[in-house]
Amino acid sequence: MPLKSYFIQPVKVYFAFFLIAGVILLTLLVSNLYSQTQSVQTALQEKTLQQAQKEFEVVLDDAIINLTSNLLELADWDEIRQQIEDPSYYYFWHEDRLKGSGYFKNNYAQIELYDQNKWLLMPPMDEGNLNAPLPLQIQTKEEAKLIFISPTKAYLHMFEPIFARDSQTLLGYVGISIDLRPYLIEENELKYINPQSIKFTETQTASLSDLSSHIHFEPIENTVANELWTQIKRFIVDIIVLLSVFSLLIIIIFQRLFSRPMQILANYVQQLKESTNDENTQPNETFLIKEFEALKHSIHDYHRDLQTAQKELNTQYEKVWKQARQDALTEIFNRRAFDEMWSQLVDTYEYNPTDISFILFDCDFFKALNDTYGHEIGDDVIRTSAKTIQKNLPSQYDVFRIGGDEFVAIIQKQPLHEAFAIAKKCLKALKNHNFCGIGIKEKLSFSIGISHLAHQNSKNLRGDLLNLPRQADIAMYKAKQSHQHKIQCYESQLEIESLSLVSSQIISTIVEAIHTGKHIDMHLQGIHSVQENKLYYESLIRIKKDDLFIYPKDIFSVVERRRLEVEMDTQIIQQMLIAFQKGHIPSNTGVSINVSGKTLLKSNFVDLFEPFLPYLKDYKIVIEIIENTLIDHMEYAKTVLNTLRNQGFLIALDDFGSGYSSIRYLAHMPVDIIKFDMSMTLALDGDEKTRNIIRSTAKMVRDAGYDLVLEGVETEEMFEKSKQAGATHIQGYLLDKPTSILKIYGSK
Amino acid sequence: MKQHALFIIKSFGISLFALCLSVQAKTVTQKIPPFNLTAEASYAQGESSKPAVLILHGFLATNQFFTVTSISNILQSEGFTTLAPTLTLNISQRRSLVKCTSLHTHTLQRDIIEISHWVDWLHAQGHAKIILIGHSSGSLELLEYASKANYPNISSIILTSLFYLNGSELGILPEEVTKAQTLLKSRINKPSHYQFLFCNNQYYATPESFLSYLKMDKPYTLSLLDSLSIPSYTIMGGADKRFHKVGRKWLDALKRTPTNLITIEGANHFFSREYEFDLQEKIIDILNQTPP
Repeated sequence: MPLKSYFIQPVKVYFAFFLIAGVILLTLLVSNLYSQTQSVQTALQEKTLQQAQKEFEVVLDDAIINLTSNLLELADWDEIRQQIEDPSYYYFWHEDRLKGSGYFKNNYAQIELYDQNKWLLMPPMDEGNLNAPLPLQIQTKEEAKLIFISPTKAYLHMFEPIFARDSQTLLGYVGISIDLRPYLIEENELKYINPQSIKFTETQTASLSDLSSHIHFEPIENTVANELWTQIKRFIVDIIVLLSVFSLLIIIIFQRLFSRPMQILANYVQQLKESTNDENTQPNETFLIKEFEALKHSIHDYHRDLQTAQKELNTQYEKVWKQARQDALTEIFNRRAFDEMWSQLVDTYEYNPTDISFILFDCDFFKALNDTYGHEIGDDVIRTSAKTIQKNLPSQYDVFRIGGDEFVAIIQKQPLHEAFAIAKKCLKALKNHNFCGIGIKEKLSFSIGISHLAHQNSKNLRGDLLNLPRQADIAMYKAKQSHQHKIQCYESQLEIESLSLVSSQIISTIVEAIHTGKHIDMHLQGIHSVQENKLYYESLIRIKKDDLFIYPKDIFSVVERRRLEVEMDTQIIQQMLIAFQKGHIPSNTGVSINVSGKTLLKSNFVDLFEPFLPYLKDYKIVIEIIENTLIDHMEYAKTVLNTLRNQGFLIALDDFGSGYSSIRYLAHMPVDIIKFDMSMTLALDGDEKTRNIIRSTAKMVRDAGYDLVLEGVETEEMFEKSKQAGATHIQGYLLDKPTSILKIYGSK
Repeated sequence: MKQHALFIIKSFGISLFALCLSVQAKTVTQKIPPFNLTAEASYAQGESSKPAVLILHGFLATNQFFTVTSISNILQSEGFTTLAPTLTLNISQRRSLVKCTSLHTHTLQRDIIEISHWVDWLHAQGHAKIILIGHSSGSLELLEYASKANYPNISSIILTSLFYLNGSELGILPEEVTKAQTLLKSRINKPSHYQFLFCNNQYYATPESFLSYLKMDKPYTLSLLDSLSIPSYTIMGGADKRFHKVGRKWLDALKRTPTNLITIEGANHFFSREYEFDLQEKIIDILNQTPP
């Protein structure tokens, strides 16, 4: 699954994310620790408070029990009884004896005796020194009483009756006053109550039963818990400080060790990527991490090696590009280079329109020259012509060799008269060139056709641009027909003139048929095997609109003049494909399709026949190429045709013997079938010498392993001669005439 | 020696038995009319054929004092009627020892009156023959009483740990005596601390109280022995620490009197430990010798 784009972030973002996540996590942990500790602290405090309350209850109960017990002991003490019976020496006894006796406990403020009527036996001597002296008379209901002096001072008065030993006779009372706060503190080892916190609330009277409600206290501070709490808080503060310092250190270390080196390396790589300067020096910084340092050197070295390789590749590419686009003979740009340039120009023209002139150069009678002086001289002529044209073109323009003796120059951003001047200069140079140096005795002539597109006047830039080659071709054709005006500029009038013999209705019908397929009525003429009862058909284009039947010569005239060879071939191929698809082709037969040289040179030539591949197993499908095209582009044709042959197609060389002296190519032609030109078939009726030549040629063809088709056989005699000459297949009116596919299909 | 051991065993068994019987002893309460005080005594009635024995405790003690209870128990077991009063020392129904530091207002004369009251009470109970046994100062007080009372029912007197109360050798300070006498003459009966007996200088008493007991000095005591009209027996502990102060010549002095002096060697002032049985044996022997 592809990563979402927002996941792709700088390393700093991820580092910040993990750092923040870590800090948050640790903060949560510390918070939890703080919270838990606080809970423990609270629980301990509550526990301590409970224990303190329990302790207080015990302390208070013990105090009351002890004091009551002490009172009882006092009441039973002989000397107390003695003083009640005879208080004569009461003061002496009270001062000198009582306080020294063990009965006067610590924190007792006062002990006094009362008579039977609850009156003091004797007034106290030191009453003025007492904060809360015992009362003069015991109140009836006051068994005990808390006397509030201040929050930290209170006295507890308690009384006990004294009875005779052997009866319930009341003798008197003994009363004690206790300084309660120090008594509670000193008489008990307080574990949970903070002694200093014991306080009293102001009260008028408080009996023993509600004594506890007037005494308040606080639990002792739990030193362990407090210390633990202090330690925890200190720990948390330490953690925060440590975390901050650690984070800062991590940031600094990360910045120094990782982020900065990565940023520098990223910038360096970006600089290498964007910079066109070969001189790229590696960063001056020295990284602490060895791997980064190695990476820096590796990037630098890799880039250096890459640059070296790139330079080498560029050199090689330029070399290959040049080789692929350079004509081996003339060392100027070849057809491929022209096609690329032209395609690019067509594609971009609408966005950047400019005046364009298409100048087409052609050497007059070059085929004858080639036949006369041989290919080597012909090649010299081509080489010299190319150099001369290139030399006289302005330096910004290139000349392309697009055919055997055809050259093209595209002049941009110049008006027609400038293009014409350039053409004129080139033509003059060609005329003036001394071709005698290479063995040419005749004076060579050249024809130049110019077509021009003034973009301001065009309403269909692309269409008009695409018409330029055809228009230049028409103009050059005109130039070839003239002896004086060897440079012709295309005008629409030229097109009309070239088609003066053909009616406009026919022309329009042909053009329409070729472009749309309408009105085409494909015909087939049988090519019969001599030895077997087999045949295949040559497909022949015919156009019929209503009652208008257009003859082949008119069709080819219009196609040739309008340079519609490729369009026509494409249409024929399409029509035959339809015939195959509809099953109109008789079984156990085959079809031969004629292809022009221009179509052969198209880059999609092989692709045109791809739809026929399924029919190869049942049908014999032959592609017919005219001899001149094959020989003019032998190497390229070999590649393309062998591809088709490997797929199962058969290649026939049409009109053999009509032009070039092609015997020397015979052994290496990428073909399966040789079709003699009709003139050679007719020559079988000639003299013996001619017949021998024909027969010898036929023998050579057969010996080379090719099938041999003789066409134009119209008589039985011609049929016999053809058989004798070695033909494997015979085509002609004798056997059958071209017939509409539909008729053939209908007859079946 | 063998007989002595048998007596000890017997006495130990009797003591245990008497301890059980002692619960039968009852507390007798008597008003001492002149002083409006209530006095208590432990009374155990014995065989009517045998004399009643009044046993008096020592200085500031009670009838629950060890030596007293020991003698009471052995006598009760022997069938004697015993009466062990606790001198009030001016405290009604006194139950505990009186501390040296307590206020002492009691006097020898009052003690004698209380003794006399208890002897009368015994007589009133039908005991025609009464034998007196005192311990320490109780012996002195009984001696004082017996010498003066001339009571026909009293047949004999047994004095244990008999010493005297006044004398420089006992620590009595003449200046304190003089001071007390001066205060008494001046009718200032303010209590003071005196050097007296085992209380050292902590004895807190009125001059009257203090001076009353000083009457019992050595010559006076010896004279009382000489003047007794009834048989007297004096039993002394040979290891009594009082001899450290009065010297063992006190025994010689006692020998020179008509009293029958018996010294139990090794016994202390209180005849504690195994000497308790020696004391009991001697007293029983004396009582058994006494004609009915």
